[in-house]
Parts: sequence; structure tokens; C-alpha cells
Amino acid sequence: MASTGAGYDLSPTTFSPDGRIFQVEYATKAVENSGTVVGIRCADGVVLGVEKVMLSKMLLPSSNRRVAAVAPHAGVAQAGSTADGRQVVARARDECDSYDDTYGIEIPPSVLAQRLAEYVHYFTIHGALRPFGASTMIAAYDARKKTHELYVLEPTGVCLRYFGAALGKGRQSAKSEIEKLDLTKLTCREALKEIAKMIHTTHDDAKDKPFILEFAWLCEETEWKYGLVPQDLIDEADAWAKKELESDDEDDDGDEEMAS
Amino acid sequence: MSRDSNYGARREFIVPHAPLPHADHHITIFSPAGKLYQVEYAIKCAQTTSGLTSVAVRGADSCVLVTQKKVPDRLVDATSVTNLYKVTEKLAVLMTGMSADCRTQATRLRYEAAEFKFQYGYAMPVASLAKRVGDICQVYTQKASLRALAAICIIAAVDEEKGPQIFKVDPAGHHFPYFATAAGAKESEATNFLEKKVDEFATYDADKTVQCAIAALQSVLNADFKASEIEAMLLSGDSSCHALTEEEIDGHLNVLAETDA
Repeated sequence: MASTGAGYDLSPTTFSPDGRIFQVEYATKAVENSGTVVGIRCADGVVLGVEKVMLSKMLLPSSNRRVAAVAPHAGVAQAGSTADGRQVVARARDECDSYDDTYGIEIPPSVLAQRLAEYVHYFTIHGALRPFGASTMIAAYDARKKTHELYVLEPTGVCLRYFGAALGKGRQSAKSEIEKLDLTKLTCREALKEIAKMIHTTHDDAKDKPFILEFAWLCEETEWKYGLVPQDLIDEADAWAKKELESDDEDDDGDEEMAS
Repeated sequence: MSRDSNYGARREFIVPHAPLPHADHHITIFSPAGKLYQVEYAIKCAQTTSGLTSVAVRGADSCVLVTQKKVPDRLVDATSVTNLYKVTEKLAVLMTGMSADCRTQATRLRYEAAEFKFQYGYAMPVASLAKRVGDICQVYTQKASLRALAAICIIAAVDEEKGPQIFKVDPAGHHFPYFATAAGAKESEATNFLEKKVDEFATYDADKTVQCAIAALQSVLNADFKASEIEAMLLSGDSSCHALTEEEIDGHLNVLAETDA
């Protein structure tokens, strides 16, 4: 039918004849082409890892951050347009502040997730606005229930709670790798290594631009405060991942020799 | 929302693009034949987009809201996926349609019910809430700046004065009370199933009401469900909305299986 959009795709306020809103679908596509972002809810915390593509060698490694803290106990990682994502981060910070002002306690993760979801959703119904071209992974700690949680907020405004999630170019293969892990036992430090491996695996050195691994976490070790993972741990994970990939390659070569 | 305070005058936002042929298909203005295509498309979106079917049945002293539960991804925490929302202690809504729109609509329902209670001092009756939400939906069909929410609300409660009530509100703003109703992918088949039983509803106790609703889903979907693939909410008597546990749903499924076999 009108599966190409063909005139029904110019505004988020337009439904197509078969009941689709193309602008919102296109916004999701904008995220699919971004660098990979992986989030895992481990036994002792939540780890978010980003394949931060470096467009120029002159850029400082710390520039163009894809992770951000929105409150001491909550933080995000973004896939898609960083400019769009920044708006969501700003709103998240406002929500955390205002909740604390009103109720006197840290905003519970589920409340933060729903408020951001409604904010992002509003941009999918208003005619003078366009949807965000960014998906946000939210990691947060619930001090009352004493649980750590991972949410993924998509440009459509849908926000669900996950055990593990991946966004961006490498999401399909990252997701299948996550499903192989035992998330009830995995620790955050182990997750750092696994995520580094997933990102290295999906990154095509020949075709894609060079990248830097950016990691942030929220775990027992950090006393449930969201922050960047120390660089030495990242380097360790990076080195481990590269070694794993090399030995995987060697295994593959071995198989080929045996086959022929 | 379209009031532009900088200019001290109300300005409506019309989407700024070149006039297209079939503009009446693109925004909510009338077509020459007198149809509102965007509203029809919004209803179509709500019916088809999630692929789920929902059923609601009103018994002698209780009402039941039942829907399928499909979790898109093994990595999703299934406890965060739901289409059943408690609006007040005794009033619940079953949403069918685009997930994000459903969520926003449910929040709006909660807000309206809470505001009513604050202003008037008593719990908002279902009929009033249905009318209020219906009116809000209608406004979206008349303004160009916001689109209709692709969400069909089935609201249920046991009203203090009128007993169990079920209302369905669609994106066009229609809000009618029902003995039983359905929404979603297999709406017409489910409605046919329910119409055949309409004379029996007034005799149903809570259990029978739940079983009838689940049976309606099972028959139109030709599926044998596991308890984890359905979610159900029971509203009865003076008690608060009760979201059925998996064990309870299993119990009802077993009863249905025995009566069939």
C-alpha cells in the first residue's frame, strides 16, 4: 500500500492509510545507523558501553561524550543524534531536580523513565515539532526497593525495562551475544569485557571510522553512584577484547585448514 | 498548547508544507465526501499496530478486562510490559493501540480522575471519565497541531450507583457503555463471539465473567494460551482493581479446558 510514505511522511501528525506514522518510524531509523550502544543489567550493577566514533584524530578522546549523569543515582547513554540526545538529558536532569524538590527523595527509576517517555512521546504527536532522533538507555538505582534497573527509551516514546539491550549498527549481533550470557551471575567487571568484545566484533575496521570505547556504570563498587568507568579498567577490557578476537580469528583459520 | 503568549493572540500551528493533493488525507479537515480520513487512519492504527486483541465483559456484579501479553524481546523485563493500567483504586483501563500513545493516554486518565476527586470530593464515575476522555480525543480531531492518539481505551469499574460498567473510548471521541466489547486485531470476530452470549452476561459471577472473556480471546485467536501470554484485571464489588496472578489465570484456563473437553 503506501509503504513508501509517499506524502504521508512529512509530519508526525499524519497517519498513513494503513495506520502508520512514518515520521516516527524514520526517527527510529536515524538511531539504527549510529555507533553501537550496549547496556547490561548485571548481578551487581548496570554497565553502559558506547562505540564512540571519532570523526577526526584531532578530537580529544573525552569530547563528544555519549554518556551523561542525570542525578547521582541515575545516568544515560545515547544512540543516534547527540544533539537531540542532549535535549533529553537536559530534561532528565530537570525531572530529577524537580522530583527531589517536590518530594524530598531521589526520583525512582521507573518514574524517571516514564516522565522521559512522556516527554519524548510529546514530540511524536505535535505538528510543529519533530521526533527525537535519539534513543536513550537509562541506568538507575532505586534506593527504596534496593534494585538497579536498566531502561531503553526509543524515539517513539516507548520505554521498557530490560535485562540487556543494544542500540545502533551492531545491535543485532550484540543482542544475540547478550542472550548467551548468564545475567544473574555476571559481574560488572566481567560485563565491561564482554561489551568491549561485542563492540569490537561488530566494528568493521575497514569500513567504519575509528572509535573509542566509552563506559559508564552504576554498581555496588561505586556505591550506586553513576559515573565513568576508570580508564585503566576500560583499557583492560579493551585489551582483553582484542585478544579474544584474535584468538577467535585463529580458531576460524584452523577450522578452514581442517575443512580443506 | 497552541496559545502563543509572546504575541498575546492565539495562533494555530498548521504544518508548514506545500499544499499536497489529498490534503484532506493528511490533516484533520473534511474531505469533499464529508469524511475525516486522518481520524479513520488513527482508528485503523490503534486496531492493527500492536497486533493484540483485547476483550472486556460485564457480569452481574463484576467486570473483567483481558488482553494478550506479548513481550517483544527475551531481554525485556516482562514486568514492565503491560496494557492494563489502574486509574484509581477502583477503576482500571485496558489500552489497545500504539504503545507510547497508550501510555500517555493512561497517564491522562489518571490525571483527570485525580483532578475530579480533588475538585468534587468523590471518586470519578466511569461514565464521567469516559466522557471527559472522549471529549479530549475529539479535540485532537479538530486541531491541526496535535494528532489523534492511536489508543482505544476500555474503561471499567463497579460504579457506586450503577454497578459494573464498561466504556469504550476511541480516537474519534466516541464513548459508549457496553455489556461486552473488544478492540484490536480481531475485534469483529471477538464481538461476534460475545454477541452470541449477550443474554447470559447478567447471570455471570466473577469467575464466569473472567472465563467468558478468556474464552472469547481463545476462540478468535484459535490458540491455547499459557497464563503468561494473557493479562487480566478483575473489578468486583467493593474491592479494588485486582490484576489476576498467573496462578489465577491458570485456574481459569483449566476450567475452560475441562468444560471444552
